Amino acid sequence: MGMRILHGEGLASVSGARDAVSRAAFRRRVQSLRAALDRHPARRWALVCEDGAWFGAGLLALAGGGRDIVLPQAPQAGALQDTEVDAVLTDRPEAFAGIPTLAMTDPGEDVEAPLPMPNDATRVEFYTSGSSGKPKCVPKAYAQLRLEVEGLERQWGAGLGTARVAGTVPHHHLYGLLFRVLWPLSAGRVFHSGMCLQPAELRAAVAGEACVIVSSPAFLSRVTAADLPPVSQVGALFSSGAPLPDPTARSLGEEWGRAAIEVYGSTETGGIGWRAWDGAEGRAWWNPIAGVEAEIRADESGPRLWTKSGCTYKHDWMPSGDLVRFGVDGRFALQGRADDVLKFEDKRVSLSEMQGYLLSHPWVAEARLLLLDGKRQQIGAAVVLKPEGRAVLERDGKRALQERLRESLSTRYEALLLPRKWRFPDALPGNAMGKTEHARLLALFEAQP
Amino acid sequence: MNQLIPELKQLIIDSLDLEDVKPDDIDAAAPLFGSGGLGLDSIDALELGVAVQKRYQVKLDANSADTRQHFQSVESLAKFISSQRPA
Repeated sequence: MGMRILHGEGLASVSGARDAVSRAAFRRRVQSLRAALDRHPARRWALVCEDGAWFGAGLLALAGGGRDIVLPQAPQAGALQDTEVDAVLTDRPEAFAGIPTLAMTDPGEDVEAPLPMPNDATRVEFYTSGSSGKPKCVPKAYAQLRLEVEGLERQWGAGLGTARVAGTVPHHHLYGLLFRVLWPLSAGRVFHSGMCLQPAELRAAVAGEACVIVSSPAFLSRVTAADLPPVSQVGALFSSGAPLPDPTARSLGEEWGRAAIEVYGSTETGGIGWRAWDGAEGRAWWNPIAGVEAEIRADESGPRLWTKSGCTYKHDWMPSGDLVRFGVDGRFALQGRADDVLKFEDKRVSLSEMQGYLLSHPWVAEARLLLLDGKRQQIGAAVVLKPEGRAVLERDGKRALQERLRESLSTRYEALLLPRKWRFPDALPGNAMGKTEHARLLALFEAQP
Repeated sequence: MNQLIPELKQLIIDSLDLEDVKPDDIDAAAPLFGSGGLGLDSIDALELGVAVQKRYQVKLDANSADTRQHFQSVESLAKFISSQRPA
């Protein structure tokens, strides 16, 4: 299929009602970035962009030049630690003070440089939460991303025509990168380059046009059918990151009028399965995506799902983080996680990893993080302070102290993953009086601070 | 609009379940999102948008840049809501 964006006329992307990037302007961006990369000594590049169109141009320019591409877990300078990058290619150079950067700026009309074709062998590294206590590197070759979007076009592209693509998920994770940016670039669909935070932004982004919506449970479970663009305009609504809650899936299918296509996969494996609301019966079962081989390999955590496809690294078998069972028809049902990684607002987070960073703070003697249920799931932090921390608590108060601790984590984590409830006990509760440590930790948060 | 400001502060605290924050702690002119203010996140933005629409029956339907401006601070939100309500 090739990369349609690199040919022809018309629009590449839009941003709000005002800014649009033509295909010709998009190509000039790729050409000028490629030329600038050729002049730069760095081989290993972090790609961090606020704008999806710049992200796409950066991805194609880096892949065209065969440079290693590193996609940090969060678009923050702190997330670059341990990634060993030489430099950052970014549209927000001010966020990376002290690190070599190449700033993305519009090149003007005349660009004398060849238009690079993405090199299939380019190394693309994703970083995600694993169970090791450190961000886990998931390597891929560019070919795997290309094959994955070609698969998406075969599976769902036929009815979509030239629909405009808009989404509510970030482009720096695999799902958003593929569905919001690379698939539209590859198939020649105009995409909205920003991430829509509110339903009004999403309605404005598709502006009365036929569209494809790329979303997730965090967004869809908080809005009503009336908040979404009219169903008559929408060719497909995708949801990934976590399973949609049943009431949300039902409401979309029965009130809004079209079932969301839920895609199950992971950074390591790419897309594995899909399902769409068709009544509550059989809801647990996912259909395998064409071209993906899947099998169970039991280990100490249980019946773990492994997959192999054009989208897995070196086309080899990759373990997923999920336990599954297969039905006789080849469909499969999820049975929980195989590790201590949580799904929190559709994002993977390892509490032991975040706990480790919190412990490295000079005010913190001991720390435990835990998931708190409620109207909205939140992460709670129980922290035993060192004398320096205690002095800050007494001088500046609890809120100021927790803001400082949140800030120290915010260099590595997106705001929505940060702990929202903090307790500063003199000691962490142990396993005393028949109650588990977990129950006693929870009790700390049930009381008012 | 002047009664709106304390009302909105309380709405933010209640709808977003903010612990340790009292209405007086919120500077009406300070940014709600990102650093330097309340530090709300993208889910907060979505939940606050839903809560404001429900409580004040206003329609958020301008283009996205305007939507973000309305949600910049308590003050800008109050201004937007009062401009949408019948006098």
